[in-house]
Amino acid sequence: MTKTTHLARLRIDPNILSNRADLITQVRAISPNLDAMDTVVSSIQGGMDEAQQRLARLDPSAYGKSRNHLDRAVTGLSPFVRHGAMSTRLIRDRALELAEPKPAEKFIQQLAWREYWQRIYNQFPDYIWHDVEPYKTGFRASDYSDDLPDDILTAQTGVACIDQFLTELLETGYMHNHARLYVAAYVCHWRRVKWQAGARFFLAHLLDGDPASNNLSWQWVASTFSHKPYFFNLENIEKFSGEATDTRFKTNKVLAGTYEDIYARLFPNLEPQS
Amino acid sequence: MSFVWIHEDAMSLDHPVMEAAGLDAQPVFIWDSQHHDAEAYALKRRVFIFECALDLDIPIYCGAPQIILSDLADRQTIFTAASLDPYINGVIADLRQTHAVVTVDRHPFASIPDDADTRRFFRFWNYAKKTALIPSEETI
Repeated sequence: MTKTTHLARLRIDPNILSNRADLITQVRAISPNLDAMDTVVSSIQGGMDEAQQRLARLDPSAYGKSRNHLDRAVTGLSPFVRHGAMSTRLIRDRALELAEPKPAEKFIQQLAWREYWQRIYNQFPDYIWHDVEPYKTGFRASDYSDDLPDDILTAQTGVACIDQFLTELLETGYMHNHARLYVAAYVCHWRRVKWQAGARFFLAHLLDGDPASNNLSWQWVASTFSHKPYFFNLENIEKFSGEATDTRFKTNKVLAGTYEDIYARLFPNLEPQS
Repeated sequence: MSFVWIHEDAMSLDHPVMEAAGLDAQPVFIWDSQHHDAEAYALKRRVFIFECALDLDIPIYCGAPQIILSDLADRQTIFTAASLDPYINGVIADLRQTHAVVTVDRHPFASIPDDADTRRFFRFWNYAKKTALIPSEETI
């Protein structure tokens, strides 16, 4: 009996990489269960040309100075690293060609974060989907919802900056790392939804969605992998975002207040924060 | 002829697995839409992965990797990049019932001992930075 019955080699038009509409049609054809309503494609294209162009724009010194600012230098290389199209080692070597070790250190340290999460994933695979520790929020895991509400899934929460961050995720498959922390904190602490639901949502959409970096960061925000919950206030978003982010009080009321006020609102079962 | 399974954690022909497999090894990519469904990948993620796969200019098959690789490789050794992904490791475990499968690690980013403290990032970084801030060519 022949052993080739299962082989289904894809016939590929040699020009398909230069015609994205055809390419998307082909992806749909080989993804028969994909929701027909899902039509959004990122402007970030896969492949080495795009990765090399991004690498050519690398400025490790600038990155180190402004990496927390939502409107400043990011490399956009993370989707390529996630899928092994470009290695952190190669990116590090390029950074050291462009800058001395000291000014490049912050950037290279960010590359090391990925290594760190991978190391933990290797040592403790159960950490990826299970709470490493209990929540330190004054609530039990059972107090949190299992699923994301529709308004988060559709970026219609009514909190302007959170909706902007979510829209970016849905439309581009990318979100600045600092914005990821804001959204994760909003989901876990303002909306009291389990971090696993948010992590699954991010993994569905982020082009660089990696179970280790993504899920362990969600656990860090939730406080199940850290000694306290991460949260923020509107003033903090204002400090780190540019003019493109809507940080007006009237459109972001639930995020406004001092850290003490917000802490008391989000974690009423804990001792007041001094 | 041996085959190299290029999976979604290592979509590069510069990975050391290619050297380990030898010049005559055939790299292949397998599009497993059932796996994408299970992960709930949105269209945008699938398009990005497909573009990365096309860019490698290697044969692309559609279906379950363990079945396709079994058929392709017949009784030859299958090479692939090491991964932490349970799905990839499940495929490898299935293949190992009938085939020799060699997994190959990527070149390390830095030289970090196996027992490095991972309880806090900055402790880990203190180990890592001893070699992470040196170009690869100087650490070989």
